[in-house]
Amino acid sequence: MSSTFFKTIGIRLWTSALVLVGVSILIFCIARVIPGDPARIALGPNATQEQVELLRERLHLNESLPVQYFEFVRELFQGDLGVSLYTNRPVTTDIGDFLPATLELVVFAGILMVVIGIPLGVLAARYRDKLTDNVVRLLSLLGVVTPTFVWAVFLMLIFAFYLEILPVAGRLSQGVDPPPGVTGFYTIDALLAGQWSTFGNAFSHIILPATALALTGIGQTARLTRASVAETYDKPYVEMAQAYGFSDRRIASKYALRPAMIPSLTIMGLDFAAMLGGAFLVEAVFAWPGLARYGVETILHKDLNGIVGTVLVISAFFLIVNMLVDIAVAWLNPRIRLQKRWAG
Amino acid sequence: MRTLKHTVSAAALAAAIAMVPLAADAQTVLRLDEVPVGELDPAKATDFADTMLMFNAYDTLLLPAQGTGGLVPHLASDYSVDGNDFTFTLRDDVTFESGNPLTADDVVYSYDRLIALGQGFSHLFRDHVASVEAVDDNTVRFTLNAPYAPFLAALTRLQIVDSQTAMANELEGDYGERGDYAQAYLSANSAGTGAYTVTDHNPQELTLLARNDDYFIDIPEGAPDEVRLVYGLEGATVRTLMSRGEHDISSQWLAPEIVRALAERDDMHLFTESGTGGFYIKMNTQRAPLDDVHCRRALAHALDYDSVIALIQITDEVAQGVRANGPLPAGMLGANPDLPVPTRDMEAAQAELAQCAYDPADHTIEISWIAEVPLEERFALLMQVNFQELGFDTEVVRVPWALFTERVTQVDTTPHIGQVYVRATTPDPDALIYNMYHSDVAGTWQSTEWLNDPEVDALLEAGRSTIDQDERAQIYRDLGARLVELQPTIYAFDTQSVYVARDAVEAETLMGDGSNSYSLDGANFMFRHMNVQ
Repeated sequence: MSSTFFKTIGIRLWTSALVLVGVSILIFCIARVIPGDPARIALGPNATQEQVELLRERLHLNESLPVQYFEFVRELFQGDLGVSLYTNRPVTTDIGDFLPATLELVVFAGILMVVIGIPLGVLAARYRDKLTDNVVRLLSLLGVVTPTFVWAVFLMLIFAFYLEILPVAGRLSQGVDPPPGVTGFYTIDALLAGQWSTFGNAFSHIILPATALALTGIGQTARLTRASVAETYDKPYVEMAQAYGFSDRRIASKYALRPAMIPSLTIMGLDFAAMLGGAFLVEAVFAWPGLARYGVETILHKDLNGIVGTVLVISAFFLIVNMLVDIAVAWLNPRIRLQKRWAG
Repeated sequence: MRTLKHTVSAAALAAAIAMVPLAADAQTVLRLDEVPVGELDPAKATDFADTMLMFNAYDTLLLPAQGTGGLVPHLASDYSVDGNDFTFTLRDDVTFESGNPLTADDVVYSYDRLIALGQGFSHLFRDHVASVEAVDDNTVRFTLNAPYAPFLAALTRLQIVDSQTAMANELEGDYGERGDYAQAYLSANSAGTGAYTVTDHNPQELTLLARNDDYFIDIPEGAPDEVRLVYGLEGATVRTLMSRGEHDISSQWLAPEIVRALAERDDMHLFTESGTGGFYIKMNTQRAPLDDVHCRRALAHALDYDSVIALIQITDEVAQGVRANGPLPAGMLGANPDLPVPTRDMEAAQAELAQCAYDPADHTIEISWIAEVPLEERFALLMQVNFQELGFDTEVVRVPWALFTERVTQVDTTPHIGQVYVRATTPDPDALIYNMYHSDVAGTWQSTEWLNDPEVDALLEAGRSTIDQDERAQIYRDLGARLVELQPTIYAFDTQSVYVARDAVEAETLMGDGSNSYSLDGANFMFRHMNVQ
């Protein structure tokens, strides 16, 4: 790795920090213009006006927006995102509880998106305009156009309601204790602790929600990969490889797929990051105790601290994934990798 | 590649192991759900899930009497009333889950904490209680500012906290020597005398409770050993779980069609809970044309009540409500059985309309429904059809709850018609209708009628200051008659909460004719009254 690389990473980190500040200001203001008094909503319908006023004062809601934001930033630098009006717990505690569950779900869905979507796209491109291609395109389109919650209910109906072969709710079955917390991912923590039974239980619980969450991404990835690989198959260097008599597999993986992955990777990265916020409906259907569901509930309850905390975490996740995608694209594309300044 | 194969094989094997049902647990477990969040702090709890937690993890000085109405001593062994002084003698056989004995200091600490935090049900006491003092270890005295009849019922909302445990867990905070008043601790842990103790709590996900075998009342053998209260299950998920035998009691918020589908199964039955509130179609009495009582009565006569009930019918016998005849649900103190049950009568509606000062063609009536309650849209559409028959132009408007609570603070922005479910927060009629109809409290979600009637105000005040229960009952009966005459509200139905339960679960408080029920929503979910096989 060159020093240019690290310098560029440094610049990206700095700009990311600026983006986060911008996001925090934006969401801080937006959260406050959502209709409804957060204190009134937090205290419930039977609270008196006096109680509401008391809480408003305690939350600095009667101060001007700049003063409120200053208070927020001051506490943020002390590692404090405030107390959630929705759960009455510190927002950092809530995020610490709910984020690993969503990350585990998203990572599993991301893996499915890659290991199923890319081979399907390559297969379709390899057999372009033949039966295989048509079937893959049809299935991909189905994946893209069908809303995630429909997949969730459909999968639950088939595998949990009728066949009863997979669990339907939560991260573990009743009576199964969570593994000792290391990463917060029950599957990985169970493996690290050598608890095979717990691993199997956690794995069986994540199959349906991860699949439901991944299906749209799988369709999108397959379609993008097919288009890119099909275009690459027409390039002279692929024709040259064919003329040399290289095997289909070698041509597909080495000469066609790698350059074709560059445009796909960027979109896949965005899809992957978007899953974190978009997992709400899947989490709701499968009673998955994750951050996406928490985030939506905080908005519905106008939980100002909860909204800002959740949005900041999701934004940070977006920025990190984007940066990793940029690095991956640079690695895949020699024209970028060999540039002195490969990113601005 | 071999490694990959081994890994996949191991994962498949582990998954297969996980599919094998767990060995039968000797412990009985009750599994039920509610909407999030579950608030565990007694000074902040208000919602239904919170109430369930409160009545299991904590106890109160008094409880609603089962079946008969009224109140009975619970943590108190006895109490006396002398003017504005209410003196309670505490039972001497009660211990907290920590092992600490219950003392009068715990009652004082719990009360002071509730008032200091200013949340939860503190409004039931704040303006009425002058002082609370521990007379001795087993005696506590509440002194009121003035006679206030709903006070005893309000005590069913004062959960008693283990003051020693709470004080030992107070962190730094805004409350002087009391620090954070143990808010962080009591939001995550229980510190009560309840029949169940909280063993794990995540307010958005799950609360686990275990039976407290040291409880001061004998808990029947069949009561569950463990309770899993899950938050935020979707209807489809509940239906799947119950069909698989993995869930025991649904929440009351399931769509009627799902309740109906589950109730049709051979291994399910229904629980019901009623007598604590109603569904009120509220008319803004300060906005034309509904500032004319004859127009309001015309609308009340035009509503198709049979169709309203049909919309909430679950089975031939059970609906999510029963026909109402006034502001107080049947069975509550002061409910007036002599009032007629309203029916659709278009002739009477036209006759009232003829006396109304307004021409319906000149006015568009805004019928709002709360966005979070889809069933209300059906009621709104029914009203639209019914009221158009009288010549009123109508507009159905979907309003999110947060926006609704904001709109109703001004008379001009309060919709002509709003729909709300209201339940009494204590087993007393005052808790249900004072905040609806007294002119001093107009402009909240409960009082969108903006009623300003001196006679109603006087009756409501008399209901508060009269201690004799028979006299109070007559006051509320008179009040009911006056309100029906003024017709600020269409009394659509008394609410009845319906739950689906597996046959393996029985609950004396939620089954039968209500003779074992508590007259307070949520209190009927005291798990010690349940039997799980």
